[in-house]
Amino acid sequence: MLLAVLIANSEGNILVERFNGVPAEERLHWRSFLVKLGADNLRGVKNEELLVANHKSVYIVYTVLGDVSIFVVGKDEYDELALSEAIFVITSALKDVCGKPPTERLFLDKYGKICLCLDEIVWKGLLENTDKDRIKRLIRLKPPTEF
Amino acid sequence: MADSSGTTLMDLITSDGSSSKPPSASSTTAPPPIDSAAMTAGPPVPMVVDKKSKKGTLMQIQSDTISAAKAAFNPVRANIMTQKQKKKPVSYAQLARSIHELAATSDQKSSQRQLVHHVFPKLAVYNSVDPSLAPSLLMLDQQCEDRTVLRYVYYYLARILSDSGSQGVSPGGGIPTPNWDALADIDAGGGVTRADVVPRVVERLTSESLNEDVEFHPRRLQALKALTYAPSSNSEILSKLYEIVFSILDKVGEPQKRKKGIFGNKGGDKEAGIKSLFQLATLTCFEKTPLDPGNPAFLHRAVQGVLFSDPVAVRHSLEILSELATKDPYAVAMALGKHAQPGGALQDVLHLNDVLARVALAKLCHTVSRARALDERPDVKSQFNSVLYQLLLDPSERVCFEAILCVLGKFDNSERTEERAAGWYRLSREILKLPDSPSVKDLTSEEKDTVQPKGKKDKSSKIRRPQPLIKLVMRRLESSFRSFSRPVLHAAARVVQEMGKSRAASFALGQYIDEGLEINAFSENNDSYDADVNPTAPSEGIRRVPSMSSGMGPKDTIASLLASLMEVVRTTVACECVYVRAMVIKALIWMQSPHESFDELESIIASELSDPSWPATLLNDILLTLHARFKATPDMAVTLLEIARIFATKVPGKIDADVLQLLWKTCLVGAGPDGKHTALEAVTIVLDLPPPQPGSILGLTSIDKVSASDPKSALALQRLVQAAVWFLGENANYAASEYAWESATPPGTALMMLDADKMVAAASSRNPTLAGALTRLQRCAFSGSWEIRIIAAQALTTMAIRSGEPYRLQIYEFLHTLAQGGVQSQFSDMHTSNGEDQGASGTGLGSLISPMLKVLDEMYSAQDELIKEMRNHDNAKKEWTDEELKKLYETHERLLNLVSLFCYVPRAKYLPLGPTRYLLFSTYALPFNVTKSISSIILFTIRDDNVYALLVPDLIYETTKTKSPEPDALDDDLVNFWASSLGDDGAPAMNRVNEFLAGAGTDAPDVEEENIISRPSMSYDDMWAKTLLETTEMEEYDARSSGSSSPDSIGSVETSISSHFGGMNYPSLFSSKPSTYGSSQPKEKQGGSRYSPYEGLGSPIREEPPPYSSPEHQRYESFENPLAGPGSNSYDERRPSSGAPQFGTALYDFTAGGDDELNLTAGEELEIEDEVDGWFYVKKKRPGRDGKMAGLVPVLYVSQS
Repeated sequence: MLLAVLIANSEGNILVERFNGVPAEERLHWRSFLVKLGADNLRGVKNEELLVANHKSVYIVYTVLGDVSIFVVGKDEYDELALSEAIFVITSALKDVCGKPPTERLFLDKYGKICLCLDEIVWKGLLENTDKDRIKRLIRLKPPTEF
Repeated sequence: MADSSGTTLMDLITSDGSSSKPPSASSTTAPPPIDSAAMTAGPPVPMVVDKKSKKGTLMQIQSDTISAAKAAFNPVRANIMTQKQKKKPVSYAQLARSIHELAATSDQKSSQRQLVHHVFPKLAVYNSVDPSLAPSLLMLDQQCEDRTVLRYVYYYLARILSDSGSQGVSPGGGIPTPNWDALADIDAGGGVTRADVVPRVVERLTSESLNEDVEFHPRRLQALKALTYAPSSNSEILSKLYEIVFSILDKVGEPQKRKKGIFGNKGGDKEAGIKSLFQLATLTCFEKTPLDPGNPAFLHRAVQGVLFSDPVAVRHSLEILSELATKDPYAVAMALGKHAQPGGALQDVLHLNDVLARVALAKLCHTVSRARALDERPDVKSQFNSVLYQLLLDPSERVCFEAILCVLGKFDNSERTEERAAGWYRLSREILKLPDSPSVKDLTSEEKDTVQPKGKKDKSSKIRRPQPLIKLVMRRLESSFRSFSRPVLHAAARVVQEMGKSRAASFALGQYIDEGLEINAFSENNDSYDADVNPTAPSEGIRRVPSMSSGMGPKDTIASLLASLMEVVRTTVACECVYVRAMVIKALIWMQSPHESFDELESIIASELSDPSWPATLLNDILLTLHARFKATPDMAVTLLEIARIFATKVPGKIDADVLQLLWKTCLVGAGPDGKHTALEAVTIVLDLPPPQPGSILGLTSIDKVSASDPKSALALQRLVQAAVWFLGENANYAASEYAWESATPPGTALMMLDADKMVAAASSRNPTLAGALTRLQRCAFSGSWEIRIIAAQALTTMAIRSGEPYRLQIYEFLHTLAQGGVQSQFSDMHTSNGEDQGASGTGLGSLISPMLKVLDEMYSAQDELIKEMRNHDNAKKEWTDEELKKLYETHERLLNLVSLFCYVPRAKYLPLGPTRYLLFSTYALPFNVTKSISSIILFTIRDDNVYALLVPDLIYETTKTKSPEPDALDDDLVNFWASSLGDDGAPAMNRVNEFLAGAGTDAPDVEEENIISRPSMSYDDMWAKTLLETTEMEEYDARSSGSSSPDSIGSVETSISSHFGGMNYPSLFSSKPSTYGSSQPKEKQGGSRYSPYEGLGSPIREEPPPYSSPEHQRYESFENPLAGPGSNSYDERRPSSGAPQFGTALYDFTAGGDDELNLTAGEELEIEDEVDGWFYVKKKRPGRDGKMAGLVPVLYVSQS
């Protein structure tokens, strides 16, 4: 299960979060854990360089893209490598929507579209569409592939 | 934060995106912006909700909603642009209003634009969507043509469907929104709840998803997707969804065969494309909905899906199949049939451009190829197996690692040793052959093994050559370890760890795989596996032989491959990321074999631990890995304890004393009779830290000195030492197998050895383990800080009470000295003074020790008394009178109660008056047995429930109460009752009872008297089945406080149980109840020292996110943080079982450490009677191998059902 996708700004304010199968009372823990993780480790990290962490059997992969940091949390079949896959899809979709590694301003301007992208990428806790063209088509309500 | 004003979520709402856009409509009637505190002025981090203003906010939102609804009904063109121009935040109410308005004019381009660019994106910021928006959204859905608008509409409809009604449960995140349903309920005048709109939404989406118009299909896809968001508990929607899905799949019918090399999107006509789209959509829905494994249609459709052209559709169908395969592998394998054969559809998936599809394939192949249900079809299994092995060559690490884990037998979180061992065997022995030549397509596994390698070699095609799995895997892992990506490193280390687990399992099962053998030898004849190849000489030694490792490529052995892999793994410790390093260390721990030297591992860990960046949770995680490693290979107890010691010394501030103690305890219990001494030694090493000057770091002064740099770790070290001291006192007797009640020392001998030197010499020669522990504790009692000294004194008392002579005497002497402080001056010269006020008694322990000494004094004087009495009786050839026996018994009880205040002793066995009492009892026991026996027979024979219930309390009363009022009358009644009820039943026991009655007749008065002084005697044990004894013992647990007349008894029960059963806790001396002679000062100190460690340790743990883990991890959780939840160990009070019996299953084998404990075999079913401080009192369904039915087991070994 892909437990959470979280996007925060450089100050640790959470911009987007998508939890799947995480009880409401545990979300607060995750938010603060991830934000702390980012604050501790993300300084000076290159764009899209993947960092990894785990807590018990839950894996966390996170990275920086422009002004925002992206965290993906998963367990079971969503191990660190599957999460890397997911975060790769998310970053490429973000770059696609924003046209470049987003500043916070840009990110917020494109907020709605980003939400739609995330909706196509992660569907009920499972990674769904990984192809960026496909995502692009789907958020315009076009068939996923040309025929 | 230069532009911080423009960078928050709220600013997003205020922003107007492209400011060039003109306001499209004027709005004179628009109400002024109603901004509630929580909605608009809230901080950017959505989790912060202003609780105080919550109610106000609710009311505010309510009024907003109403006004929005009103606005929707009025055809007034309010527009949010006006507000935005003022740069004021747009409230939710305004957004909602805009949607209502714009929906009405959705045919206009400007409205669409506004929706797409302003309203919908801003609405996305909010956590959930008000159900009252649904009508407008549905209207948009119906009327609007704009694709982007529609896409948003589906998005929000899905949000409405998924919202389970309560705030925060929806997956959205963002700015918190109120519970809309609750709001609507408050508003009596027409609020809209989810219940109102959901049926309409579902209806709409359903009809859309059934629309067969070609142009409509993208919407169809989204409609289906939105439908899946409905909570799966809603069976109505679910059945509707199934209906739709099956109807679509029926229509698209059998999929077309995919052309090789073309995966859907390039070739094919439009018709096929649409078909594949439907397939995709439906399969996707399929996967997101709960499976119904009994339904054959599911399987059929899923198998069809494997042939679909869309890679995502194939992935979904494979995921469904692998899920189904765990439940019914036979059906899945049969349904897949020829697809699994070489050249079949599953082979195509190997080249499919979708990583997750291949991962699902690996799982599916693993499940099928390991299924017991398919044992009769080795051909089918080998087909799937071969696909799995081919996945090892996959370019993606994710797929390859999944395949390796599957080969290793790690599939889900259930750890089965056999499966793991078989996994290691497979990995080390089997060979990958690529079955793409049609001639070898249908070979069975045996034929493959023998024929194919040669046939392949003849072709001399390099890629096609069969490869031993181990070689492939090792090379792959080695190259992964050279990666720069941290996730890859982490995953590779994890795979190595799993490999170590499988290897350990294989060792544990005694399958010695000769790792020195040349691997290529297997490829020639790999079915010549000999189950016990070379069992005596494990092959690691060969690794050291240089000729092997420096040999040519084909000379590879498993050992040499492993060695080179481990070399790479070790270098990975240099990674910056602690998480990767932690995983590497875990991998190293698991790959460590018990026969190798662990110097290297030790030095790696030691140097790692010097790094301050390690978080505490990770370190404790590694400690738990040590624990798991020990369980897999008990031989490694000493090695692991050595490693644990490094943790204790290097990072005492970060590790949890409880986790460490757990490790100690498991190692001690599991180490077996031979290993106990070494295990205990390893624990005591902690006490010798740091080696040169034992007084300094333990002393209070040194803490003051260190405090400048790191007071926390100094305190933690002290806590660890405390834990070690306590552990030593609590377990030394167990480790040394020395118990007073099992002592072989003849009575009285110790009293003659009053010369201390001789005594010590005798003691150490007889039991070096105990003597060593004693020495260490004695040193701690002198030289530690006051907390440690207190615990050491308590530990010594525990040992004194539990040990036989001469240890008891030795400790007595020592404590006496300590209390008097007589020798203290000498010791003070030898050790540096700790600067503490020594107090009147010299060591400051006088007030603490004096009650302990008093107990020992009483015991000795009572023993003396008894011996004197016995001599008197013998000399005078006098019989013991009942009065004397009674007095004796009372003394016994009193001493037992006293002793129980200090530590746990088995009441039934412990003889505080010394072993001499046995003699007395065996001489005088017969008379009481008579009555006892009668009662017992009655208890056994009259099994009528009512009678049983009626009798038991009385009997217990009799056996426990010292002053029974009229026992003979009761007995008569019982006997009469028995006689009358059984009548001429001819019960076999009747004769025996008659015999007893006849025999005892002359002693009738004695019977009465003896019965009063009833006590568990030896013959009683022997004569009556254990069950009865256990009944009484259990009753003792439950009813002692009520049944015993001694005023101390309540306190004694509590303390005795807690100090013994509180496996992980600190001693409970004096803690539960003010004892008769406990002084208040040590009590306070004691309380402080007991609780502070947990408070300190609890808080960092609580900061961590909660676990999402297998039950196994939850178990760990429970002992990492003993105070965290109500489910974890309680402190002093024992929790009586609450009415209904609880059941559980044994998770592991457990070896009883004492007579009150119970051996467990993993998987046994148990009835849990009671929980006491981390121990369950359980009953088995049937007696175990040792014949015991009931006893104590650690809570962690039992899973409660």
